Amino acid sequence: MMSQDSLVVKGLSRQFGTVHALKEFDINIPKGELVALLGPSGCGKTTALRIIAGLEKSDAGSVILNGKVITSDAAHKRNMGMVFQAYSLFPHLNVADNVSFGLKMRKVSKENQKKRVDAILELVGLNSHHKRFAHQLSGGQQQRVALARALVTEPEVLLLDEPLSALDAQVRTNLREEIRRLQLSLGTTTLFVTHDQEEAMTISDRVGVMNSGSLEQIDTPDVLYNNPATNFVASFVGVMNKISSQLSDGYIEVFGKRLKATKGEKSAGQVYALIRPEAINVKTNASNPNAKVLTRSFLGASSNIVCQLADGTIVQSLMTSAGSGELHPGSSVELEVSISEVLITHD
Amino acid sequence: MADTMRKNLASNLVLIVAGMFLFFPLYAAAEFSLRNGADKTHGFAAYRWIFEQSGFAENIGITFRVTLLAVALNLLILVPTVTWLHLSGQRYKRIVEILTILPLIIPVVALATGAQIAMPEFMQNSVYELSFFYVVVAMPYTYRALDVGLSAHPLATLTNAARSLGASWLKTFTTVVAPTIRPSILAALFLMVALSLGEFTLAQLLHWSTFPVWVTNVSQQNIVGATALAIGSLFFAWILLFSFTFIGKKNSTIVMEEG
Repeated sequence: MMSQDSLVVKGLSRQFGTVHALKEFDINIPKGELVALLGPSGCGKTTALRIIAGLEKSDAGSVILNGKVITSDAAHKRNMGMVFQAYSLFPHLNVADNVSFGLKMRKVSKENQKKRVDAILELVGLNSHHKRFAHQLSGGQQQRVALARALVTEPEVLLLDEPLSALDAQVRTNLREEIRRLQLSLGTTTLFVTHDQEEAMTISDRVGVMNSGSLEQIDTPDVLYNNPATNFVASFVGVMNKISSQLSDGYIEVFGKRLKATKGEKSAGQVYALIRPEAINVKTNASNPNAKVLTRSFLGASSNIVCQLADGTIVQSLMTSAGSGELHPGSSVELEVSISEVLITHD
Repeated sequence: MADTMRKNLASNLVLIVAGMFLFFPLYAAAEFSLRNGADKTHGFAAYRWIFEQSGFAENIGITFRVTLLAVALNLLILVPTVTWLHLSGQRYKRIVEILTILPLIIPVVALATGAQIAMPEFMQNSVYELSFFYVVVAMPYTYRALDVGLSAHPLATLTNAARSLGASWLKTFTTVVAPTIRPSILAALFLMVALSLGEFTLAQLLHWSTFPVWVTNVSQQNIVGATALAIGSLFFAWILLFSFTFIGKKNSTIVMEEG
């Protein structure tokens, strides 16, 4: 049985001047799911989020929250919580008053407010910071408070607009895990906008990849990575090697191996094979070398080997560190592919 | 060590010289205003004389009411306007900036005669028309005071946050925008009060009797009394501004203590 969709967005369009920021954007988010919208800057992901929040108008389309059409409702009448990229704590209020702001607007009783503020601050790990002001908190703490403030009203949907972009790498990783933990324990339907694919892939149930105003593909991180629907998704999600070759009868030869072209245009001629780094092996004692090692980056259990083909193409390989110890910059090697089917593109 | 000491000495010296420059004329005026005629005794005769002049209370009353209206108009018109300019009227900001400079460029005489004709008659016949003029004349300063305060905060994000938390536009304005830019609002209010209390040219040109106009007329008769008036007005203004600063500081002191 299908779980009920909490948030349904149909055919959202928005034009700024001559720029189509959003084109016929659709998305369905079942209750309790965390969906990330991933895309390069200017792809329309933030516009989509802001329209859903009611902070931006749409030219066409509708937003439906738990079966109720809210397209023309004002932002403050939609029961949504939002966390922004920029620090957004009210500077004249302390942490506790910031968090209780939404409760005050909803006319929750004083003692109930206190109870809920205490509980949520405990959840985000800031239970001793009630009286602090924004300027006395670190960036990570400020975003935790912002998260608490957005969640304390028990919103039907939580909207996150690149909440981690302004933070240090270490804090970012910790906080994203915490967002996921909170989201799972509260069961809040969440839409998370980010341009950081690692962020999107690690904490989301599903990731929607956006490009120039349209949703290219929305699926689980695994499917996006292993079975990208379009070339854009293939090259945007994860590292992808583009190796030039000839296509004939639906087959393509890469490093001497015949591979079946799975998706993309099938017309014969000059094409590129799209191959993940982990599908490429670097053989050291090569009988007929076809590449030179440029660099080897040790990543722990695995190593990233960057090689250059005779025609100048750069190819990345991800292999176990154990098997790549004797690879040094400049050594001649033979590249192999470990797959039998491949995605192709013409450009 | 020696360097910082020399630096301290130099800055102290500047402070002392500047202080003397300001203090001596004030001291001299105060001393002069306290003289009892030609003899060497001191007293408050000149100050008593001020209160004995007809129209003292009346003119102070008028100036107060005109100031009050000017402050109210200034805040009601300017604060929402500047907020709007920052949030969604960015493209009009340039034009408004230029407009707010105009009162500095257009001579007050032109404003007095030209703008008065444009006013409806019932306003031309009321001393409160001055409040409207004062709001315009103070605009170059009050607009900038508010503009600076609003620029110092990520206003768009703060209002978006307030709206997403369930605050209507009005609530957002009163519970988030206004408290955030409170110091700037106070500064604008400050400037408005200072200007309204001391404005002479417009009132005189339009034949209204306000406190500054009354002071000018009265002081023609008595040189010691005029000095007493000047000193009195100065202290009065100081007390007023001091109390405003106190109101403004109250909140931020709490901030410091709780931190």
